[in-house]
Amino acid sequence: MSKIPGKSRQPTLAIISIALTIVAFILFILATFMESLADYTTLLLTAGLGLLAVSWIIYFFGGRMAPKKEPTPEKVVTVIGCRNCDVREERDFQQGDFIPKELGPCKKCSGKSYIKAIYAVTEKKPNADGK
Amino acid sequence: MRYAGQSWWEPPVPIPNTEVKPPNVFGCTGRREGLGSLGSWRPLHLRKKYIYLHILHECYLVNAVIPVGQIFGTGNDLNSILFNVLYLVAFFIIILFFNQRMQIWTYQRNVEKATQRLQELADKSKEQALNSIKPFTEANADIRAKVTGFLDFFTIEPVDRDPYGVLTRLDHILDTRHDRLREFVRQIAPKAGSSDTANTEDVLEVAMALNYVFKIVRHYLILGKKTKSLMIFVQLDMQLPLLMKTAEAYFTAQKGMSEGKPWGDGLGPLVASKLMYGGAVKPISQEVVYAEVDISNRKAIILKAEGPGGVVGKPGEAVKELVEGRKGKIARIIMIDAAGKLEGETTGEVVEGIGAAIGDPGPEKYKIEEAATKYNIPIDAIICKMDIDEALTTMKKEVAEASDKIVERIRTSIVERTKEGDVVIVAGIGNTMGVAQ
Repeated sequence: MSKIPGKSRQPTLAIISIALTIVAFILFILATFMESLADYTTLLLTAGLGLLAVSWIIYFFGGRMAPKKEPTPEKVVTVIGCRNCDVREERDFQQGDFIPKELGPCKKCSGKSYIKAIYAVTEKKPNADGK
Repeated sequence: MRYAGQSWWEPPVPIPNTEVKPPNVFGCTGRREGLGSLGSWRPLHLRKKYIYLHILHECYLVNAVIPVGQIFGTGNDLNSILFNVLYLVAFFIIILFFNQRMQIWTYQRNVEKATQRLQELADKSKEQALNSIKPFTEANADIRAKVTGFLDFFTIEPVDRDPYGVLTRLDHILDTRHDRLREFVRQIAPKAGSSDTANTEDVLEVAMALNYVFKIVRHYLILGKKTKSLMIFVQLDMQLPLLMKTAEAYFTAQKGMSEGKPWGDGLGPLVASKLMYGGAVKPISQEVVYAEVDISNRKAIILKAEGPGGVVGKPGEAVKELVEGRKGKIARIIMIDAAGKLEGETTGEVVEGIGAAIGDPGPEKYKIEEAATKYNIPIDAIICKMDIDEALTTMKKEVAEASDKIVERIRTSIVERTKEGDVVIVAGIGNTMGVAQ
């Protein structure tokens, strides 16, 4: 089966589905081979079938219920350098920026400062502690 | 051996309690010792509690696990035999006739979900294109209908049954397409400058590509439903992962295009831009510029598409002109491009090889190879590995850092493989959005 974007919960749901199927088969085996449980065969088989049904529903409809994966926030950085010295400054990308746009005199040596690079940095989502 | 708590070789045990199991219930065999006796010795309140389950079990569940021996005449009950024969028939009908239908349902579900997502991407992409064009339109101009109509614009590839001259014809068709697209953008966005026009062309191209992919997938989905063909769904489903990945990458890239951010594919022009600094920049061929710089007493002719608008130009034409203009007196041609990485490889990895490193439909690569072959000029290729979505979206830090490594490699290669006074062509291939010269 193909993987379609936006199914981040699918592996978890697949594991749950497989686990339920295994439990269902254990119940079937218990109902079949354990004489001491003979009186509860009906219950065990019904429960097993129920689990199989739930497992199938999770497998079949799990993908639909899964929330769409939020795109990872992307930060685009403009790196400013100088032709004469090794000064390096970073700021957020602004529309109109391009490489190697001349930006006037360098703050450090009065040489020509220019846009040296523009690239995307993937920002890590803050954890529960806000770090 | 026991099945469902019952010895199947034991003779049938009559069920004493008719309240629990009516003897005329179709399909109930009365063989189940445990269950059969359930009603007989349990207290009444318990019996009532289990009546429903018991009947259910007897009618449906037991038969699902009933021994084969009973089916073939070991049971005395006619109902039992009849039911089991019917059960077997039903089982084979399901296996033989509904097996494929169930597979079709599963594959169809995947394709339907992908189609929904593609429709969402195509619609959003169209809106994004309209929003990016809006600032350059005349006041009160309604461009929606024009843009919507243009999304279905198509290009017919030249006939290749007679392959002679097919690349020349393809080149002509691609030029015509490019001119038509530019003409349309100038018509709907007259206020756009040259860079904005080029970027708007890219934005429209993405909207057109997503619209096309959505329509093709939807076509096969409906065709599969109409013909009930498992093969159509299977083939579609197998291609979906890569198709969806590309579609998502295009969609993500579109926003960056309207803002003029450099792509991962802009690595070649970025390297060329770094190398040509200080040289006099001159135009050559369509949307390509070049500059001559000195590298360790060798003359290096650096060429790239003319930025910072999002164009790729015709670098093949430029290389051919430069080679022909110098009557083949070129020591080497070095090409720099972004290349798709294999799974497991690292983004930003720089690799060297030989051959024309250019991913065009054919004409530009052909011109470079033809010129190089004619004058026996070696072609070196330096590529930077990246994923397809990294090539189409804003340049990653790893790729930007790789450009400095490539600049150094080119300098080293020129010193190692050419003599002083030689002329070398260095071509930075790719979309030059956000990278000027």
